[in-house]
Amino acid sequence: MEKDRNSFIFRFLSTLFVILAINFFLPRMMPGDPFSTTSADEVGEEIIVMTEEQRLYYMKYYGLDRPLYEQFSKYMKNLITGDLGRSIYYKMPVRDVIWLHLPWTMLIVMGATAISTISGVVLGTVSAKNRKKGSDRVIMTGMIAFAEIPSFLLGLILLLIFSVYFRLFPLAGAVTPFANYNGPAEQAWDILYHAFLPVLTLSLSQLTGVYLLTRNTLITVTTKDYIRTARAKGMGEKTVWVRHALRNALLPVVTRTGFMIGIMMGGVVLVESVFSYPGIGMTLRSAVINRDYPLIQGILLVIAVSILICNMLVDKIYGKLDPRVRI
Amino acid sequence: MIKDIAAYGNAGILNFIQALNINRINRIVSSIIKQFSRFSTEGKIGIFGVFCIILMAVFAPLITTYPPQKITGDSLVPPGSGHFLGTDELGMDIWSQICYGARMSLTIGLAVALVSGFGGGAIGILAGYMGGHIDRLLMRVIDVTMALPSFPLLVVISAFLGPSILNVILILVLFSWAKPARIARSQTLSLKQNNYIIAARNYGAKPFYLLWRHIFPEVMPVLFVLVIGISSHAIIAEAGLAFLGLGDPTSKSWGMMLNHATSFRSIYFTPYWQWWLLPPLFMLIFLLLCLAFISRDMERILDPKLKIKKGF
Repeated sequence: MEKDRNSFIFRFLSTLFVILAINFFLPRMMPGDPFSTTSADEVGEEIIVMTEEQRLYYMKYYGLDRPLYEQFSKYMKNLITGDLGRSIYYKMPVRDVIWLHLPWTMLIVMGATAISTISGVVLGTVSAKNRKKGSDRVIMTGMIAFAEIPSFLLGLILLLIFSVYFRLFPLAGAVTPFANYNGPAEQAWDILYHAFLPVLTLSLSQLTGVYLLTRNTLITVTTKDYIRTARAKGMGEKTVWVRHALRNALLPVVTRTGFMIGIMMGGVVLVESVFSYPGIGMTLRSAVINRDYPLIQGILLVIAVSILICNMLVDKIYGKLDPRVRI
Repeated sequence: MIKDIAAYGNAGILNFIQALNINRINRIVSSIIKQFSRFSTEGKIGIFGVFCIILMAVFAPLITTYPPQKITGDSLVPPGSGHFLGTDELGMDIWSQICYGARMSLTIGLAVALVSGFGGGAIGILAGYMGGHIDRLLMRVIDVTMALPSFPLLVVISAFLGPSILNVILILVLFSWAKPARIARSQTLSLKQNNYIIAARNYGAKPFYLLWRHIFPEVMPVLFVLVIGISSHAIIAEAGLAFLGLGDPTSKSWGMMLNHATSFRSIYFTPYWQWWLLPPLFMLIFLLLCLAFISRDMERILDPKLKIKKGF
C-alpha cells in the first residue's frame, strides 16, 4: 500500500513536471528570440528593428541571458506564487484572463458531467433490466453510434439543427449582450438558455461511456449470489435493483465520472469554439490565433493541472468508497 | 494476324498465371472472402465505406473537373450544373475540395496509425521480452505519456512549432504510441510463459527468431485493432486542429473546410452552410463511423472476451 501510494505520487509529479517542461522549453525552442521580429504579419503593424545594443539590453532586462537552469528555477518560483506572466493581447495578467473565463468552462463541464452521469445510469439500468427485449437493442445501437462522433462535430450538427434551422437556441455567447435583467431569476434563465447546447453536446458525447459501464456492471452484478439471496428473502424487485444491484454497480461509474471530467476538459477547447462560448477553450483558440504565447501556456497549465487533479481525486474517492481496494 | 498475336498473348498470360501457381492465388482470394464473410452487416458496410473513400482519394483527379485550390467560378455558387456541390467564398469547387481532402485525412490516419501502432508495438514487445530495468523505465514513460492531456498539448505544440503535415503526424505519433506499447508488452509477458515458447527456446531458438516467429504473429491481431482505433483518433485530432486554424495552410483538408466555413462571418444567417459546411461534416462523420464499425467487428471476431478500452 505504501509503495502504491509512492508510485502514484511519483506518477503525478512526473507528469506535472513533463507538462511544465514542455511549457517552459517550447517557446525557447522556437527559432529566433522575441526581440528579433523583422516581419509584420498584419497590415499596418509597425516593424521595429532594434540595434544590437538595445536587443542585448532587453535580453538582460527579461533575464533571457541567464543560463537555462536559472531561468527554469525563476519560472518555477513564479508559478508557485501564481504569477503566469502577462497576456500580450489582453494587456493584463494571464491569471486574471483565466479567472475571467474559467467559470464558464466550469459551468458547462460540471453541468455535462451531472447530466451524462445521471442519464447514463438511468438508461443503463433500463437497458440492463430489459436486456432480453428489443428496447435494449435499440438504445444500445443508438448509443454506440453517438459515441463514435467526436464532440465538436456533434456540436456542429446540434448547432445547425437547433440554432440555425429551427432558431430555438442562440448561435453564440454565454449571455445576451447588453441585456437588462429584472432580477437574478431572469439572469440565471438567460445563462442556462445559452449553456444548453454546449452542455447537451458534451453530455451526449460522454453518455455512452457511462451507459455501457452501468449496463455491463449491472448485468454482472445481477448474477451474483447476494442478489438471489435478496430475492429469496422476499424483497421487492425495486429494492433489489436499487439497494443491492445499483449500489454495487455504481462504483466503477465513480471512476468513470472522474476520467470523464478530464476528457471533457480536453474536448472543451473545440466545443467552445463551435458555440463561441467564452470559456478558456475559446480563449485558447483566440490566443493561438493572436499568437499570445504567455496566455497559451497559462491555459494549457490550468487544463493539464485540472485533469491531473481529477484523476488523483478519483483514485482517492474510489479507495474510500470500495473497502476491497483498501488492503 | 493481329488476332493471332492477341490469342498467342492471351495464351502466354494464361501459361504465366498457371506457372505462378493458380492454386495459391485461389487460396489467397478465398481466404480473403472467408475473412470478409466473418464480418457482420455493420462491419461490411464499414469496409465498403472506407474502400469508397480510398477510391475517392486515389482517383481524385479523375472524378473532379476543377482543381481544388484554384478559383474556377463565382463565389458561393449553390450546387447545380457546372459545380456539382457549389463553390466556397473564393469560388473554389467544393466537390474537388472534398475529394482531395480525403487524401489528407487518410494519409494522416494511416501514417500515424502505422508508425505508432507498429513502432509502439515493437517497443512494447521488446520491453516485455527483455524485462528488467528497461521494462520498468518504459512503463514509467508510458504512464506519464498516457496521463498527459493530449488534445490541449497538441494545440499548444502545433501552435509553437508551426502547422505542417509532418509536424502534425509527428506530434500525434508522440502521443499515441503508448497504448499499443502497453498492450503489446502485457501480451508478450503472458505469451512468454507458454510452454511452446519455452520449448522453442530450449531447442536453441535465438531471441529474434522467437520474437518474429512466435510472439509477433500472436500480438499482431490485437495491434491491428488498435491501429484502426489510433487512425480514427488521428483523423479526429487533425480535423480538430485544422478546425481551430492550426492545419497546414498549403493543403485542403476537411477540418480546414470546416474552419473556413465557420469563420465566414454570416454563414449561419445565409443558406451557404447547406453546401459549404455540410459536405465536410458529413464526410468526416461517415469515415469515423465506418472505421468504428470495422474496429468493433474486428474486436468481436478476435476474441469476444477481449475488451480493449477506448480512450480519447
